[in-house]
Amino acid sequence: MNATLKINGTEKTFDQGLPSTLTELLAQLEINAATVVAEINGDIVERKNFAQTELKDQMAIELIRFVGGG
Amino acid sequence: MIILSAKKPQGGKIAGKEFDSRLFVGTGKFASNALMARAIAASGSQMVTVALRRVDIENENDDMLAAIDQTKYQLLPNTSGARDANEAVRLSRLARAASGIAWVKLEVTPDPYYLLPDGQETLKAAEILVKDGFIVLPYINADPILAKKLQDIGCVTVMPLASPIGSNQGIKTKASIEIIIEQATVPVVVDAGLGAPSHAVEAMEMGADAVLVNTAIAAASDPAQMAKAFKMATEAGRIAYETGLAPRSNTANASSPLTGFLRN
Repeated sequence: MNATLKINGTEKTFDQGLPSTLTELLAQLEINAATVVAEINGDIVERKNFAQTELKDQMAIELIRFVGGG
Repeated sequence: MIILSAKKPQGGKIAGKEFDSRLFVGTGKFASNALMARAIAASGSQMVTVALRRVDIENENDDMLAAIDQTKYQLLPNTSGARDANEAVRLSRLARAASGIAWVKLEVTPDPYYLLPDGQETLKAAEILVKDGFIVLPYINADPILAKKLQDIGCVTVMPLASPIGSNQGIKTKASIEIIIEQATVPVVVDAGLGAPSHAVEAMEMGADAVLVNTAIAAASDPAQMAKAFKMATEAGRIAYETGLAPRSNTANASSPLTGFLRN
């Protein structure tokens, strides 16, 4: 079943169904979870809760990390 | 509780934490993480700023934090990109969730052309963040009244700008920074626009407690060498300030004796 997530402002469709948790999404995207913080529908998700955070169709997800800055 | 050690040329305390260096460095604009790491080491700094951005989900992201040894350096996440108080508070909370660090360099810059800070929104965000337990270091215009308000609500430093971020123009706000230094009971960190080691010396001679430098180091042809130059400049300026400069006068005062010349 098709499902969609809005990740960092861009719609992404998953033809084979959604990854069930935030941890699985990061693994699919090949992003190291240890370097990332997430927001779902405007609420911060602590890294320790990634594995328990279930994903649902139409969620807005922000994946943020540190970069160089002054 | 802020205690500043006036006797120590190299360091001081912020929010009860002791620093051996009065030079803070930014991590933006370096050509590579390796160059950045070498420059940070050469700077002698113990306070290192970082920013938060969206992960690029299409491309591989390298983890710049891996290049910064957090046992040696205090990480200072900034709120760069925030255009109002709400965005700055949101970024601060994300930074805390990402790093476990409650220190934040608060910057609210609605206009990308000059990147000048919005004092009203900065004060609003600072009030929320201090109440929320953050250690807040606000980036501000060289506005003595605003500096005092931020100090009074519990910010641990004030960080007036020398000139616009990344402009390398040096200290264009000298008279106002002098007033801020005279009135502040928290450390004053001169931030933004310091383009040459001579600018850092000038800020430290004026009595600034620290300086923050990014572009001038990162954009130099050899960032580690320039970082070393800024380290020496920051220490020289501090020693000169603590020693007290000799008085100025409008006429000459001979350095060599005027008596005993061959003429008489």
